[in-house]
Amino acid sequence: VKAVHYLNQFFAGMGGEDKAETPPTRIEGPVGPGRGLAAELGAVEIVATLACGDDYFAEQEEEALRTLLAYLEEDRPDVLIAGPAFGSGRYGYACGTLTAAAAERGISAVAALHPENPGVDAAGKAYVVPTAVNVAGMRDALPRLAKVAAALAERGELGPAEEEGYLPRGFRRNYFAEKTGAERAVDLLLAKLAGETKTEVGGGLDRVEPPARVPDLSAVLVALVTEAGCVPQGNPDRLPSVRAQGWLRYDLDGEETLSSARYESVHGGFDVTLANEDPNRLVPLDAARQLEREGRIGRLHETFYTTTGNGTPVVMATRFGREIAAELERAGVGAVLLSGT
Amino acid sequence: MAWELATFSPDLFREPAPIEGVDITVVRPGEPVRITHVLDAVEPRIRPDGRPAFPTEGGAGEGRTNRLDGVVVLSCLDFAAEERPLHEQESIVDLGGPGAAYTPFARETCIVLTFRPGEGGNEAAEATARRTSLRVAEELARPTLDAEPAQVETFELGAADENLPRVAALIQLSDLGPLYHLYVYGTPAGQAGLPRIVDPAELLDGAVTSGEYHWAAMRNPTICFQRNALVRSLYADHGKRLRFAGVVLMRGYEQSAEDKQRVAKAAVARAQELGADGVIITTDAGGNSHTDVMLTCRACERAGIRTTVVLAEETDPESTRPILTDWVPEADSIVSTGNLEELVPEWRPERVLGGDKLLDGTAAAEAGLIPVRNYLGAANQMGQLTLGARSA
Repeated sequence: VKAVHYLNQFFAGMGGEDKAETPPTRIEGPVGPGRGLAAELGAVEIVATLACGDDYFAEQEEEALRTLLAYLEEDRPDVLIAGPAFGSGRYGYACGTLTAAAAERGISAVAALHPENPGVDAAGKAYVVPTAVNVAGMRDALPRLAKVAAALAERGELGPAEEEGYLPRGFRRNYFAEKTGAERAVDLLLAKLAGETKTEVGGGLDRVEPPARVPDLSAVLVALVTEAGCVPQGNPDRLPSVRAQGWLRYDLDGEETLSSARYESVHGGFDVTLANEDPNRLVPLDAARQLEREGRIGRLHETFYTTTGNGTPVVMATRFGREIAAELERAGVGAVLLSGT
Repeated sequence: MAWELATFSPDLFREPAPIEGVDITVVRPGEPVRITHVLDAVEPRIRPDGRPAFPTEGGAGEGRTNRLDGVVVLSCLDFAAEERPLHEQESIVDLGGPGAAYTPFARETCIVLTFRPGEGGNEAAEATARRTSLRVAEELARPTLDAEPAQVETFELGAADENLPRVAALIQLSDLGPLYHLYVYGTPAGQAGLPRIVDPAELLDGAVTSGEYHWAAMRNPTICFQRNALVRSLYADHGKRLRFAGVVLMRGYEQSAEDKQRVAKAAVARAQELGADGVIITTDAGGNSHTDVMLTCRACERAGIRTTVVLAEETDPESTRPILTDWVPEADSIVSTGNLEELVPEWRPERVLGGDKLLDGTAAAEAGLIPVRNYLGAANQMGQLTLGARSA
């Protein structure tokens, strides 16, 4: 079982800042921290060390990656190990970027970094073992890095972050637990009642803070936006009834009301019978026109925006919102009447 | 001895039949079959005293009920495309391949009923299919009446150590209208006087049946109540780790913000009647109902009742943040029953029952990757199965 180890010029013993421009090079066997790592790796052998100057990597990333990946292709290791780079920004970034590129090419890869090192984000689908912020954490980091690297060399893929000792990569995987969800719930509740609160999934939402009050509605352009699946009769643009992949905009053409002869809802998540009797129940154009005539709102934006909010992943809905808001902003809209279902 | 024979006009037969016919297929364990358009799964049950196995007038959870082990009735119906007030979603059971791990029927003999819709509309077809499936399940259990049971379990909540915490289950039953109902004693959940306290045994004994056809993985098919893992766990732990305080059925998909708040408070009041120190809140369906669960969680915690919430993740294939549809800070103890959007590897069944084409038109035998969402009960939010999700 083969490993290749990546280090910067300093840890590879080539020199300090004065050697930071050193281009990528390949050294046979382990060097520097690689020796300590090798002692922990058991059956996994470090066949080569790749080294690169921090400045060289930062300034000529493309060229550096090309050379380093070419070395990797020659060695075809079972695992690429990078670092530990601790809190070092340039070195950490190189470790993260190289391991990410290796992982994309199907080579298992792990870096060892402080959790706040920018290299963690750069590592993408590669694994990152957390370390202390500086080199004082070397002795603690090496066995943990070796453990993850050896498991990765052997299995190609790891179990959950918490069990295997790497940083969560920002996504989740399904698994079959030993206990049913019901049994797990009883365990969690009893633990909580005993004072030890645990959870299988953290909450946290993008809380939308209420914006500042519109000082004078009679002076602003107001837009109608809906997720009620309201479209012209016949659904000419084929808005899906569920799991919409985008949103649509339609001109109001000065219309006073959304007549059932011209509009309908294709939403598949609620009973649309009453809505389709009078589409103003979804998008209250009739009432908005009244407010416009009375001067209580400045003017109505002559385009309304629509999508189907049904089974929509939150990330997708967030994108719709951003895109629609950007258009409204460009059009000078000062307030939105957003109808939900 | 006189006998009378009365004859009637054939006009009486003119009523449109909502179901034109049904195909019955018995699938033995291990057969590489995919079943599509699945409405419900029901365990065969019958009562020796002649009372109905799925009663509509109360009385479940008393006396004795016979269950036929290792057999499940799966009902299938491909609704006519027109006139769908609510859209039923795809619902698959795989009895082989990787999907079989998500739908736990591969080790059982499956009695697959494929209903062919007739005239009279989708709601009438659904009602007929649903009632027929329950009756078939009852008939299948009839041979147990003349046989010796392999095992008899007794469900009762005896005296327990008063130092143990009192734990109740708050079980959400959704009701969003036609095709999206769960039923309590045959009445749609929205009209069943929820929230209400029921004896835990009622839940296991046919008091709640299913008629909901939203996202398959988040459904509660009837068998998930009959074999309810949560109620069974709480019975098993009663007197050992906890005192099982009881079950509250509450409605999901309350339609207004005001109703959502009102119902959350009413559920707390029921939990307080049961003297609960802690509650497990389960979820039915997605989106809207997750908000009901979060509000109920908050109301319980504010009343000093500790909560654990059971729900599924439904964001994207890798469950990136934000993971949950709704969340309150009080929900600090959550069981995840898995991510609906993760894809299950491809499998080619040798045979397809229920309908050859999926709702999106693809051939069911060559459907490629299928999201967990489309597997019946796969991420059941009463915690019926073992699926979970964790950070990677």
